[in-house]
Amino acid sequence: MSPTPKKTNPSSDVILEVKDLVQSYNGRAVLNGLNFKVRKGETFVIMGGSGCGKTTLLRILIGAQKPTSGSVHLFGEDITKASSQELDRIRLRFGMNFQFGALFQSMTVGENIALPLQEHSQVDPSLIEMIVKMKLELVGLTGFENFKPSELSGGMRKRVGLARALALDPELLFSDEPTSGLDPVMTAVVDQLTLDSTRKIGVTAVVVSHDMTSCFRIATHMLMLGNGPRQGEIIAEGTPDEIRANPDPFLQQFVRGEADGPIAFRLSQDDYLKHLLQEG
Amino acid sequence: MKFSFESLLNAGGSRLTYGLLNLRILGWILYGFTRPGILVPSQILSQIIRIGVQAIPMASLVSLSVGFILAMQSSTELGKMGADSFIPDLVSLSLMRELGPLLVAIIVVGRSGSAVAAELGTMKVNEEIEALRVMAIDPIRYLVVPRFIALIIMLPCMTIFGNCVGLVGGWAVCTLEMGMPSSFYIMRAMQRPELWDLFSGLIKTAVFAHIIITIACYQGLNVEGGAEGVGRATTSAVVYSILWIIIADTILTGLFYFVL
Ligand SMILES: Nc1ncnc2c1ncn2[C@@H]1O[C@H](COP(=O)(O)OP(=O)(O)OP(=O)(O)O)[C@@H](O)[C@H]1O
Ligand SMILES: [Mg+2]
Repeated sequence: MSPTPKKTNPSSDVILEVKDLVQSYNGRAVLNGLNFKVRKGETFVIMGGSGCGKTTLLRILIGAQKPTSGSVHLFGEDITKASSQELDRIRLRFGMNFQFGALFQSMTVGENIALPLQEHSQVDPSLIEMIVKMKLELVGLTGFENFKPSELSGGMRKRVGLARALALDPELLFSDEPTSGLDPVMTAVVDQLTLDSTRKIGVTAVVVSHDMTSCFRIATHMLMLGNGPRQGEIIAEGTPDEIRANPDPFLQQFVRGEADGPIAFRLSQDDYLKHLLQEG
Repeated sequence: MKFSFESLLNAGGSRLTYGLLNLRILGWILYGFTRPGILVPSQILSQIIRIGVQAIPMASLVSLSVGFILAMQSSTELGKMGADSFIPDLVSLSLMRELGPLLVAIIVVGRSGSAVAAELGTMKVNEEIEALRVMAIDPIRYLVVPRFIALIIMLPCMTIFGNCVGLVGGWAVCTLEMGMPSSFYIMRAMQRPELWDLFSGLIKTAVFAHIIITIACYQGLNVEGGAEGVGRATTSAVVYSILWIIIADTILTGLFYFVL
């Protein structure tokens, strides 16, 4: 393989660039001035505690929600300023796997996966049927075409959501906690699927996760969002090795999954008493 | 700026007011006639069945009852004046001009309008609408337009059918109870109304269909806040639809009465 001139210029293979992104709800900044870049071929993992704004960030990245301020450049276009038509054009280039699946309840699993193909490709129905079978096989759900989402378990729904996100073979895959609620084997299967898509097909993936094993398994680049007192800021960013070596106590507590540390889950004894007495 | 249908399709960007919803439906329908694949016949057909055909039994039952009621109520008063022979006229005229369109519309509000609001509302809560958008599938085109076309086609059909069933109700009372010959009932009921009586009813019906489906879709697509929001949207869809149907009925009846 001969190195292309593009490879030598790092800015040209930036697929997603976030600048000074702020999202606040009723004056509370959930995301506070984020800056980061995702490059082609990366598996970019966003970590962070529950409620730190991962889903909010993803919703902004896919153009489902306008941020309070800041910009998001996806494939070189600022989606915070794009018109609906421009957005639709960009949306054909990425797939989104929602945290809770967001499957169409009135359709079968097969129809869910077939929908983007029917709407956006000119392939004929028999071929669509075949692609659906292939995608289901990928996520280990062969034979479930005719099930309704309500007849599946939570983990199975997640995998259908992933299959649907991959239906159009996108260049970029957004995945919101693809492995939460899956058993260890299925977690490994889904991680392997992400790895296969990124390493073999060259898909770029932006994955939200707080399962550390799976994070380190798939990530080529990681970003940790803070919560509590550090709500909305980036605590650390880098390759998995850099993250492991990062001395930040907040980050280390998260990576090791310890209850004691700077991430305060409960109030201290004194604060708790104060809080209770104030209310009374 | 050059006018294009495309600009109608996305009027207002991410906001969705009632006016914008109407504009976008219009845009998609016009656009659909110029471009194949936008109006999908199979989807329209499945909506015709779900929000139209399946409401027919209920609409028929109500129309039949109204036919009975009209004939019985009028027979006491008209009978006193010896004007029994006008009962068929009264039954068929009131059904065509007023009661048929109004009652069938109200049945459809309760049966199909509420169902559409609840269905779209649940899809909104479940992020399905969001998922459609992210797949670059416009929810108005994919969800609202087929329902809109289905009801605009079906409500007039159901009203005509309901009128016929109502006439049967009137016939039953007149022949079985009052001993009127069937041939006489049929002749009077068919001869008296003019074409305009039928058309004025059907114009009302088309307006009612528009009111029912746009309000139901608007309420459904604007649901906020979980199952409770869906419940609220469904109630609002029914209440506002009935309110606007009656207001529109008054205005149209006035228009037909004074102007035409
Ligand atoms: N529509 C909204 N209005 C007000 N606050 C919101 C809204 N959506 C999200 N938030 C707030 O933003 C914060 C981040 O929510 P988000 O769903 O992004 O968290 P998350 O990181 O995905 O958490 P989890 O890991 O539990 O899924 C939460 O504190 C939540 O209260
Ligand atoms: Mg989340």
